[in-house]
Amino acid sequence: MKLKKATAVLLTVAVTVGLAACGSSSDGNKDSAKKDDNKLTIWAWDEAFNILAANEAKKIYAEKNPDVDVEVVTMAQDDIVAKLNTSLSSGAYDGLPDIVLIEDYRIQGYLNAYQEDFADLSEIASPEDFAEYKTGVNQIDGKMYGIPFDSGVAAMFYRTDMIEEAGYTQDDMENLTWDKYIEIGKAVKEKTGKDMLTLDPSELGQIRMMLQSAGAWYTDEDGKVNLADNQALKDAVTTYKKLVDAGITKTVSDWDQFVGAFNNGDVASVPAGSWLSPSIMKAEDQSGKWAVTAFPRMAENADSVNASSIGGAGWYVLKKVGHEDEAKEFLKETFASNTDLMNTLAEEINLISTLKSAAECDYYSKGMDFYGGQEVFKDFAEWTAEVPAVNYGENTYIIEDLMTEVMQQITSGADIDKVLSDYQKQAEAAISK
Amino acid sequence: MSKKVLSVLKYVFLAVISFVSVFPLIWMVIAATNRSVDITKGTMIPGSYLMENLNTLLSSDLHYMMAFKNSLIIAVITTALAMLVSSAAGYAFVVYKSKNRERVFNLILLSMMVPFAALMVPLFRLFTKFNNMGPLKLIALNTPMAVIIIAVATAFLIFFFRQNAQTFPKELLEAARIDGLGEFQIFVRIFMPTMKSCYAAAIVVTFMSSWNNYLWPLIALQSPEKRTLPLVISAMGTSYTPDYGMMMIAVFIATIPTAIIFFIMQKQFVAGMTGSVKG
Repeated sequence: MKLKKATAVLLTVAVTVGLAACGSSSDGNKDSAKKDDNKLTIWAWDEAFNILAANEAKKIYAEKNPDVDVEVVTMAQDDIVAKLNTSLSSGAYDGLPDIVLIEDYRIQGYLNAYQEDFADLSEIASPEDFAEYKTGVNQIDGKMYGIPFDSGVAAMFYRTDMIEEAGYTQDDMENLTWDKYIEIGKAVKEKTGKDMLTLDPSELGQIRMMLQSAGAWYTDEDGKVNLADNQALKDAVTTYKKLVDAGITKTVSDWDQFVGAFNNGDVASVPAGSWLSPSIMKAEDQSGKWAVTAFPRMAENADSVNASSIGGAGWYVLKKVGHEDEAKEFLKETFASNTDLMNTLAEEINLISTLKSAAECDYYSKGMDFYGGQEVFKDFAEWTAEVPAVNYGENTYIIEDLMTEVMQQITSGADIDKVLSDYQKQAEAAISK
Repeated sequence: MSKKVLSVLKYVFLAVISFVSVFPLIWMVIAATNRSVDITKGTMIPGSYLMENLNTLLSSDLHYMMAFKNSLIIAVITTALAMLVSSAAGYAFVVYKSKNRERVFNLILLSMMVPFAALMVPLFRLFTKFNNMGPLKLIALNTPMAVIIIAVATAFLIFFFRQNAQTFPKELLEAARIDGLGEFQIFVRIFMPTMKSCYAAAIVVTFMSSWNNYLWPLIALQSPEKRTLPLVISAMGTSYTPDYGMMMIAVFIATIPTAIIFFIMQKQFVAGMTGSVKG
């Protein structure tokens, strides 16, 4: 029959086209056990930061191990998360990387669910070599599963010219409390007409930083939701409300506006992670007008110190992909120990390393003109050592989704205790799903 | 007088609406010519950094042009195969009568109701099995075919072609049969040319959805040299200091192929969507 013949022709065409499209792509699907092709794959996000760091590490490693081929892949963080989730949950390791960068807020979730997929790195690094707060999150049963990477040490970037115009000096910004900060903020607003800081109602980094400065989190030490009886959270929320009520905040709704606000000179200070520094320095016309001080503490909370953290990540090895030993060796020679690498990275990407020995790097004692000659790195490194350790638990982002609603209700006048205890139940329900 | 007022109001309204829909595109072009720092400051004047942004994009190790090529290959093959397979299916649902025809068709429609997110993990597990199954390696994970194959026969396209095939005149079909044309010949020589505008609409829709497809390629394509454009653009997104200038030129270039396809087929597209057939 003609129809049959025609179908056959069609099918053949389809298959040939398919074949041509695939070309040489159908190789490389052997066993997912140990492979000896001397190839390491690294996944990370942020072209200008993590990827650059991974490439520097690759260069250093290649000098001693020219036969190992390291491939660094840029991906969005959300994409990495999506791919890890699908692959690990279906037990398919083909195509996964040997080394992957995972954010501190997320790693506990992975380690608890897929502990046997991650390699124990205790033999190549020890927690004592790193800032204390970074090693709490990547250990399970006393075994260390990750190599801490960047410090998200919190800092208060501020405009010296505006502070002085408001009648304060740089000394007033030292050993800062939030109350003092608000007082200065009001003066700045009055004298210069500019706001003191930006707030983004959908992004509660501000609250997270305040919480960690008091060694607390949305969850308790065991990872259970802790909103209702959490003194540090109450203090943080109260402080946040005070900032809003003082009328010294500029509301932004996304990252773009946030960066635009300080690049435009619309705000006098930016409380943020040390990693924000390159974005601030992009506004070359403001060179010399900035300084950095330690993160403010909450005076009413005895545990709160002038140090905190936001963001930050670590390197992890997926052992079932097939190059466990090589991957460990790579991390051992680079991120787990190499101070020269940290020095290069400080210079190139403003990395504040969490490796303790990095504090001795040459670059750390270099004054930066943009910050009026301040030895910014030395300060960052010093504060990094003081950040209280916190167990972020598995559910930071789930709880934070609810917290944005909490903050909206509280800033519009609702009773703090009542709202928090309401949302305690909601958060528990959201997590038990 | 009131007629004049009305027409002024009409044009004001249209102007506002078109400004709102065109503004993001204009902004994209302006942003592509500026430095990141100027973009965040909210500049609205074209700058002189177009070439610099383009250079950063092409010299970064994101392999943008490779992704562009991958996207193009996938979109073209998907569209070509989908046109053959889905239109044949839609045609068959109308022309050939059988007892269970409506039941099968309802089942296909039902599959439109299942969101892709629910299918993702089962699909992924299925495709991982293909990796070890001889000839099926062709469509296994990490091959362009893995992305193409699931978009070739979609419920929407089959539905779309079935609806349009119903307007295909039976007399033409009968006349062709009497003149001795085979069934496949009728489909290719009579049906396809008659339904040109319908095909044009389907091509635009399929090409666009394949070009912008994100979730499944993200899961199915693993090596960086196989990635498609949306994945590469998404990889630029998360960073401590994003380079908006580079992102905007990347997005700008990515818009070009769909724009071209749309402008070529604009006339037929409109006709096809409203479902007209030249008898």
